[in-house]
Amino acid sequence: SLTDENPWWIAFQSACKAANVELQTEIFPAATDSRYLRKSGADMIGFSPMNNTPILLHDHNEYLNEKVFIRGVDIYCKIISALANVEV
Amino acid sequence: MTSAAVENIAVTRFREYLRINTSHPNPDYAKASEFYKKYADELGLTYWQVELPQNRVVDLITWEGLEPTLPSIMLYSHTDVVPSFPEHWKYDPFSAHKEENGDIFARGAQDMKCVGIGYLEAIRKLKTAGKRFKRTFHVTFCPDEEIGGLTGMIEFVKTKEFEKLNIGFALDEGIANPGEEFRLFYSERNVW
Ligand SMILES: [Zn+2]
Repeated sequence: SLTDENPWWIAFQSACKAANVELQTEIFPAATDSRYLRKSGADMIGFSPMNNTPILLHDHNEYLNEKVFIRGVDIYCKIISALANVEV
Repeated sequence: MTSAAVENIAVTRFREYLRINTSHPNPDYAKASEFYKKYADELGLTYWQVELPQNRVVDLITWEGLEPTLPSIMLYSHTDVVPSFPEHWKYDPFSAHKEENGDIFARGAQDMKCVGIGYLEAIRKLKTAGKRFKRTFHVTFCPDEEIGGLTGMIEFVKTKEFEKLNIGFALDEGIANPGEEFRLFYSERNVW
C-alpha cells in the first residue's frame, strides 16, 4: 500500500516536488481499469498532469491547453526517471 | 508570425491521435493500432499486441531496461473514448482544433489521450537525452475501458502475457483540476 515507507510512492512524491507539482491526494474512485490492475497486486497511482483545467471529461467541448499538455510531458520525464531507479 | 511557425512535436502527435475516432459504439481500434506501431518505430521502441477474446487487442510499446528481470512499470491508458454529440460542440470533436491561445478541443483531450501521448513524448525526451534505465517500461493501451473493461483489462490481466510483464508499479489516469494543484488518486491495496 502507498504508505510513507513505500519506495514507489516516495519516488513519485520526490519527482513531483522536483517538478514543482503540488499534489492533492484523494482515495481512488472504483470506476476505472485501475480496479483490475490493483487486483493483480500491482501498486499504482492515478494521475493525469492537468492543472488550471476545467473538468470536462465525457462533456461537450472537452479541451486541454497545449501549454498544460507540454508541461505534463516534462512532469512525466521526472516521474519516469524517478520510478526507474526505485530499489524494490 | 514566426513564433507560431513550428508546433511542438508532442502537440502534433497528440492532435494526430485525437483525430482517430475511437469513440463507442464502434471505436476504430485498427487505426489506433497502426498509429501506435508507427509511433514505436519513430521512437525506436518495440510495438507488440496481446490478443483478447471478442476480437480485441491490447497494444503495447515497450522500452526495455538494462535489467529486464526487475519488476517493470506499466504506463497505462485506454484507447477508447465516450460518445459525443457534435451539435453541442464548437468544433468537430475529432478535428483536434487548436485555438489561438493553445486550447485543443477533442473528445479524449482530457480522458485520456493526453496521458498516453504524455508517456511516449516523455520517453522520447529521455531517450534523446541518452538516458537508459534498469527497469523496463510498458506503455499499455487498452480497449473498452469506457464500457467497463469486461472485454478489455479484465481479460488482459488473465493472460500469460500479462503475468510475464511482472509489473511492480503502474500509472493510470487521474482527473483535471481547475486550480493550481494536481489531483492524485491512490488506494490501499486489495480493498475490493
Ligand atoms: Zn478514462
